[in-house]
Amino acid sequence: MTSSTVTAEARPNRFLVARRSGVGPYLFILALTVVMYFVLGPKQFVNALTIGAIYALVALGYTMVYGIIELINFAHGDVFMVGSFVSLFVLTNILGATGPAPDLATIVYQLVVTFALTMSVVGVLGVTIERFAYRPLRNAPRLAPLITAIGISFILQNVVQLIYGPSPINTPQVIPPSARVDIAGVSIGWINIFIIVTAISLMFGLQLFVSRTKVGRAMRSTASDREAASLMGVDINRTIAITFLIGSALAGAAGVVQGLYFGNITSALGFQSGLKAFTAAVLGGIGNITGAAIGGFMIGFVEVTAANFGFFVWAQAAVFMILIVTLVFRPSGLFGQQLGERA
Amino acid sequence: MRLHKISALAGVSILAFAACSSSGASTAPSAGGGGESAAPPASKGELTLGVSLPLSGGAAADGQPTLKGAQLEVDRINAAGGIGGYTIKLLPLDHAVAGKYNEQQAAQDMQTFVADDAVIGVVGPYNSAVAKVQIPISNSAGLAQCSPANTNTGLTKPEEGALDLRKDFPDRINYIRVAATDSLQGPAMAIYDYDTLGLKNLLIVDDVTTFGKGVADTFQTKFEELGGTVVLRQGAPADTTDFNGIINSQAVEASPPDGVYYGGVVTSGAGLFLKQLRQAGLDIPFTGPDGIVNGSVNDDGSLIKIAGADAAANSYGTIAAIGDFPAKAEFDAAFEEHFSADSDFKTPGAYSGPANACAVVLLEALKAAVDGGAADMAGIREAVRAYASDPANSFDTVLGPISFDENGDTTVPFISFYEVDTAATGGADWVFKEQQSFGE
Repeated sequence: MTSSTVTAEARPNRFLVARRSGVGPYLFILALTVVMYFVLGPKQFVNALTIGAIYALVALGYTMVYGIIELINFAHGDVFMVGSFVSLFVLTNILGATGPAPDLATIVYQLVVTFALTMSVVGVLGVTIERFAYRPLRNAPRLAPLITAIGISFILQNVVQLIYGPSPINTPQVIPPSARVDIAGVSIGWINIFIIVTAISLMFGLQLFVSRTKVGRAMRSTASDREAASLMGVDINRTIAITFLIGSALAGAAGVVQGLYFGNITSALGFQSGLKAFTAAVLGGIGNITGAAIGGFMIGFVEVTAANFGFFVWAQAAVFMILIVTLVFRPSGLFGQQLGERA
Repeated sequence: MRLHKISALAGVSILAFAACSSSGASTAPSAGGGGESAAPPASKGELTLGVSLPLSGGAAADGQPTLKGAQLEVDRINAAGGIGGYTIKLLPLDHAVAGKYNEQQAAQDMQTFVADDAVIGVVGPYNSAVAKVQIPISNSAGLAQCSPANTNTGLTKPEEGALDLRKDFPDRINYIRVAATDSLQGPAMAIYDYDTLGLKNLLIVDDVTTFGKGVADTFQTKFEELGGTVVLRQGAPADTTDFNGIINSQAVEASPPDGVYYGGVVTSGAGLFLKQLRQAGLDIPFTGPDGIVNGSVNDDGSLIKIAGADAAANSYGTIAAIGDFPAKAEFDAAFEEHFSADSDFKTPGAYSGPANACAVVLLEALKAAVDGGAADMAGIREAVRAYASDPANSFDTVLGPISFDENGDTTVPFISFYEVDTAATGGADWVFKEQQSFGE
């Protein structure tokens, strides 16, 4: 990189989170969570966590790809949508599920198979997209891969419409929506618990993977400085491919969860949820894994709060108001890299 | 086979539109007659009846049965030798994009119709928001348009803002409709909910569209006037998938509603809303306007299919048209026989009859125009418009005799009530309950 390209952006080590952002944002989030719990009450709190978990899973893919190659991968929302359709295919065509599974063993079996197959297929899809659509453009002006991403988004959406048609389609809800459990007097759906636990486990797994493994270190170094990393022997192509594999697999998991929770999916899903997840990633500080996760949950909370207090119409506007306010005071997002004086 | 033909026609019309947009709207493009150019006056050749509906994806459950209602009449006329020597060609243009009605596409389609001299009138649209963008275009061109299903009050009534839509020619009515308005549809359901179903505390959600918010407003006003309580009123924009925040909101928890009114259409999310209501354990009556009454459990994109037959039980909806007209049995039989070879939408929908009536109105007007000596295309188009919108004329339709008032509204408005019957033959479907006449 010549010095001229560094003006607008330092090349921060985006995957390394806490070291530079300090504890401030964490305390802020913790305080906010406690406040939200008392404002919304336990039931709505769980609703917000559930929907936020889905946004967060999708947001991770945006933020990882941006972190490593500084590409806003507009096709990512549609990768998530494809994930929901792959899970529909696995559930109905391979496992033959039509609705709630009869017993716990079947539930576990169907969920394990669905998650494994969907995450693999969608992960490979992500790698394929990167290999054929983004890699040839890696050194092109930044606008080129961005437009390509939009093109991929249309292709995915149209292929799904070709196969499944544009109508919304019902998906089998393997975990019966009526299965609920009383926790401290509050009735909570097992599906909600399942989604929240799954999402948070995946996020922690990702965080550990990125911070503790050799591949994770390669990812961080590639994000930090691609050329220096390659000089140090990091296989850049492989590392970027792995980033796409993981990000897309997480979107695949989100797709499975979407089908399980709502029992209905449509090919337009990618655009709607993609936009929210992208907002979540920016809110948290794009390029930052913790930030994306927290951003996803925040959007879930904004939506549910708006619905709870009767201004649901304004939920979208509220999300963007918060985004603007955040960016005014912290231009790089809640957990984003604080740029040095130099910029 | 029919679908192939329709898509071929649509393809031609897109070409026609492309030609016209490149050379300016004032020139006369091809008539879309498969290559033969219809230089006016066509020597007693073909005239076109346009149809503007959402026909694909989730919206097909709305559009397809409605289109077929009009097609039935056109096929009947052609089999009987056409009108004054002209054969009638039905030209349906689909303005569903990704399965939902799309105003921009609908505006383009209306430009296509307007620019095509052979088009004597248009049946449609289905959605009020679409009518809002189409009426200014058709009004400016003086092209007759008859909607089987639009209910928004502001489309016709000057005091509700209709003059803004027809501001080019405020006194030249070209838009007529056989459906009753939301000023009747909303209140009628409010009375039905309050008196017949005995609901006193309602959760009201609308989809924040021209139609949905409008009808929910008229509903709420009447319901509160009757003494009902609105527990919570929320707007859920058209792409909402998660209604759990509304369903579990503290207002609902604090005073549980005994019923729900959804102002909107199924493509906005009515099916998901209903599904999530049932999953939250609220087995209370789900009521709504004609936007939720869209086909059986077998039709893609229908409320019953999305929510699931079991969840759809205990749902009630209105249709802004006469549901039980004297000729209904014959109409249904003719419809089912005519379309028996089709792969789907073989049975009439709620607005098939009204669409048939619209076709009758426009074609009767055409007959009067041709009989009256109108020869060139512009003359025929204007004569059709003038005749169809003239309050003095009455039309003998399958729904019964219809005439239109000075704003283009039907003088015989009806509201019909439907309920989901999960035990209907052929799968869960909407069944007619009763109807109410608002005619003078």
